[in-house]
Amino acid sequence: MAQAETGKTEMGKTEMGTADKGNADMGKPGMGTAAVAAARDDRDGIAAFAETARHAVAACAALPVRERARQLAGDGLLGILAPESAGGLGLGPSFAAPVMEAAGAGLLGYPLAETLLLGAAFGSAPVGPAIVLGETIATIAWAGIAEGSGDRLSGTVGRAPLVDEADLLLVATRTGAALVPLDGAGVTVQPAFGLDLETPEHEVVLTDVTPVATLDAAATAALREDALPLWAAAIGGAAERCLALALEHVSTREQFGRTLVSFQALRHALARQKLAVEHVRAALERHAALVAAGAPEARLAARTSYAAATRFGIAAIESALQLHGGMGFTWEVEVHRHLRRARTVEAQGDAPGLHRRLAEDLLTANA
Amino acid sequence: MDRDVSTLPPGLAGDPYRAHVRAWLAAHVPEGFLADQPGFRAPDLAACRDWEAAMHRGGLAGITWPTEYGGHGLSLREHLIANQEIGRRALPESVNSLGKELAGPIILAIGTEEQKRRYLPPLLQMREIWCQGFSEPNAGSDLAGLRTRATRDGSAWRVNGRKIWTSGAPNAQRCLLLARTGAVEDRHRGLALFAMRMDAPGVTVRPLRQMDGREHFAEVFMDDVVIDAEDALGAPDQGWSAAVRVLAIERATNRMYRAWRFENELNHLVRACRADATLARLLDGGAYHRRLAETVVDIEIVKAHVEPVVDSLLAGESIGDRGSLMKLHWSEAHQRFAALALELLEQAPPGAGPEVQAARARFQRIYLSARAETIYAGTTEIQLGIIGDRILKLPRESAKGGR
Repeated sequence: MAQAETGKTEMGKTEMGTADKGNADMGKPGMGTAAVAAARDDRDGIAAFAETARHAVAACAALPVRERARQLAGDGLLGILAPESAGGLGLGPSFAAPVMEAAGAGLLGYPLAETLLLGAAFGSAPVGPAIVLGETIATIAWAGIAEGSGDRLSGTVGRAPLVDEADLLLVATRTGAALVPLDGAGVTVQPAFGLDLETPEHEVVLTDVTPVATLDAAATAALREDALPLWAAAIGGAAERCLALALEHVSTREQFGRTLVSFQALRHALARQKLAVEHVRAALERHAALVAAGAPEARLAARTSYAAATRFGIAAIESALQLHGGMGFTWEVEVHRHLRRARTVEAQGDAPGLHRRLAEDLLTANA
Repeated sequence: MDRDVSTLPPGLAGDPYRAHVRAWLAAHVPEGFLADQPGFRAPDLAACRDWEAAMHRGGLAGITWPTEYGGHGLSLREHLIANQEIGRRALPESVNSLGKELAGPIILAIGTEEQKRRYLPPLLQMREIWCQGFSEPNAGSDLAGLRTRATRDGSAWRVNGRKIWTSGAPNAQRCLLLARTGAVEDRHRGLALFAMRMDAPGVTVRPLRQMDGREHFAEVFMDDVVIDAEDALGAPDQGWSAAVRVLAIERATNRMYRAWRFENELNHLVRACRADATLARLLDGGAYHRRLAETVVDIEIVKAHVEPVVDSLLAGESIGDRGSLMKLHWSEAHQRFAALALELLEQAPPGAGPEVQAARARFQRIYLSARAETIYAGTTEIQLGIIGDRILKLPRESAKGGR
């Protein structure tokens, strides 16, 4: 494995902040609505990006995992948030969102959110370019913590999408996080009981494993916050796809001598699905605008996008499943795959914990 | 988290206009006016009139209207900033919101030059309060079924009919009246708009007591009311299309302060609960964390829908029916929040202090009045219909026996 440097890379000052603020296309910080207008001017560019992503995601469906990585990297999709020095594009969340939407809508079988985050976090580390170029598959264990000192980590971690195919795994540690190689001794990957079928979760038992790079506590916390809008976009894209499927179904199926879409109860259900999709989109656009403006409220906006996606987006997917009637309960109709993924993402991001933190912030602010 | 900073929109924290608004409000908000402060006394109509007239003189009403009609000639961006600052303070609701946010924009859109000069300055100066005469006993959600009839009488019009749920009627000097000039079967066609004087002979107002105890809306009877030609707004058959066009924008822009007022209410609720040992224990126990967090998120989503509307309108883009998405969300979100506030505060023990009692009074009012929010300005069911018909463009009818 090319990236298996044994020398530890201290990543205390991560590139992630740069990735967020360095989006030249989004207008200068502090421009307020002007930044929003600049983002709008750039909508064509973002739309083209989204189109590329849709094609790449569709192409990936027929490919083995390694080739998916090359396909996505070839289209520049793995390094959106990574610095240019690592072969990335150094763009902001306004570009990542449509790509994650396409990944969600297209049931991409690749840990894309994890790759985007790791490409940004380790952009200036030796392992960075290989992740961005798709030569190394890296993923993140969203649950559990590895104990131990500097170069000997042990413990059981979980909620790691597609880790059985990956080369590197980011695990939480007492001081932040560490990127550990998966091909050496001391690594046991075991199946977990995850719902997701696209990037199945596994648990990993580590015994005295030496990391190739680390993140400090602040960079680790930032990575978790940066994951929120990516997940939100994936669920939003999935919800929009499920709405389209439900709409197609009720527009063609007939009962009682009428197409189902003529029944008001179903029209209202579709309208609420649309409302949910628009909530997620509006929250993501606000987040991107606030990031572009360098505004501190971007953090709450990121949390809002994820909370909106896990609450309204998942409800919309469930509603779309319901509108499919008996068909919706079959394996063949893809809605259940979106629901499985969305519920998995809800667990990976610890939506209950996020809500607790939101409430605690509110109580603290009014103490 | 710094709540002050979190309520500012992208990059507008240092805006000089915001500084002006803040300074003006700090200097001019009357004693006892703020519902989240000790010593709050609900202001009466005269106090509200005076306050709103002062706000206009201070540049905080008619912000986007042209200066020749008493406005301040600024953009929606300033309108948004002023609304954010107004929303952050627990100020009374406008007693002339139908004038400022419905009649005024319609007059600006279809009124004659003379009408704009005649109606708009007194409206902003609070010398004329407006009410909205749209709904009728048999034309609520189905507004196009209204029966109030306007017939030609020389150059004037003669109006007969009955309006109901007419918001603001008991205090109004003018009514934005939608009446029929053609047959009922014409539905949308043949509807005309008038600026009817409420003191005209033949106008009778019968206030309706609302479930929140107030008498803000009313029945309005029109018995051979003569309306001069100069008080007809737009061409006789333009009424409906003008109303629909303006309503779509109004649905998206009216009471733009809403998200920030909800935030003020949420912060007030938490502070009030903190002032009582029993309620503080409830808050800290964690059982309410999920609903509190969902309220925070609901409010942020209102902001996320409102702010882009300002950008779109400033960029000259159509906002279409986006107002229906916003209205559906804020009205339901506010009801959820109001129910949470009521549930929490009603667990206050007997003998709770004045801060808790004041909050109970405020949130009881809010809870009750919020029940109207999913009814007025198009019910939730109407909004869902609009989203289905006009945003999703769902086919209306199935072809019989096939597709």
